[in-house]
Amino acid sequence: MKFIQVFIVIMAALALASCSTKISYGDATSVETTTTGFGSTDLQTIAEKLVDDLITFPPVVQMTSERRPVVFVDKIKNKTTEHIDTESITDTIQTKLLQSGKFRFVDMTTVQAVQEQMKFQMDSGMVDSNKAAAFGKQTGAEFMLYGNMSSIVKRRNDTKDVYYKFTLKLVNLESGIIEWASEKEIRKSSEKTFFLN
Amino acid sequence: MLKIKLKMAILTGFSVLTLGCSVNETVTVVVQDDGNLTQTIESNSDLLAENLMIAGTKTAFVGDLLKAQVEIKNASDELLSFQYKFKWLDKRGFEVGIGSRPWHPISITPYESKMIQGVAPNPLVNSFTVLVQD
Repeated sequence: MKFIQVFIVIMAALALASCSTKISYGDATSVETTTTGFGSTDLQTIAEKLVDDLITFPPVVQMTSERRPVVFVDKIKNKTTEHIDTESITDTIQTKLLQSGKFRFVDMTTVQAVQEQMKFQMDSGMVDSNKAAAFGKQTGAEFMLYGNMSSIVKRRNDTKDVYYKFTLKLVNLESGIIEWASEKEIRKSSEKTFFLN
Repeated sequence: MLKIKLKMAILTGFSVLTLGCSVNETVTVVVQDDGNLTQTIESNSDLLAENLMIAGTKTAFVGDLLKAQVEIKNASDELLSFQYKFKWLDKRGFEVGIGSRPWHPISITPYESKMIQGVAPNPLVNSFTVLVQD
């Protein structure tokens, strides 16, 4: 009986403690398994695997030992049933590739803003014409990175299985040849369990 | 009723125990200028460190990037599920790409070995450490 009393006191203390809101910072790189949905660990794992594959692919190693090719990143097609911010995945891949010192990128998402700034420099009369950035001097991309993301979801009773496949390809814009491709597969499953029957 | 309460007490105790996960450095490999490797294996009294063995390490330069492969062995008779990640260091011991490498989940069945592999984020790297945590 004494054990039950002690247990009730502990549980009451825990219940009271749970009334307060506690905010804490966590490790952004830790494994996240909140749900079977696409999460931060999946994004980080995909980016790391594909970047490692690309920068160690023999023809790419040879090419990047002589120069830093200019690449354009196209959107990744999301063929899954989830809403996934695929731009976030390509952003991480682009950042890692830039930091490797092997590639350079042109950013098509800022074309409008760049155009407006250059027009301002040329036409506003406020910028020294000798120091204004000139039109027609930008570098064109030699390669394009693009890909797909797909998933297969299966459910049976209390078990759910999710399979993700992320494919990334590097195509030579001039020749149309796919110079490199790689995939990353992820399988996640969840099962509802009942401890107390 | 008492049986259910006992179960809950045991579960609560178990949850508190599992909250205290720890990070263990298991192996640090430095590639010297002459290409030789210096390997330091560190272990402590944690359960994971007692059951995991570094069975071997391999390194190679792909272009100017250090590529590492580490064989981890589960020396116990139980399935071990844990997380690992590579920490990359430059010649002066500074960590490169802090916070950019994720933890990877991995499971190794009893007495089985698994290879883990990583590529340095840039050419400044000449050594690495494998971190594991439960």
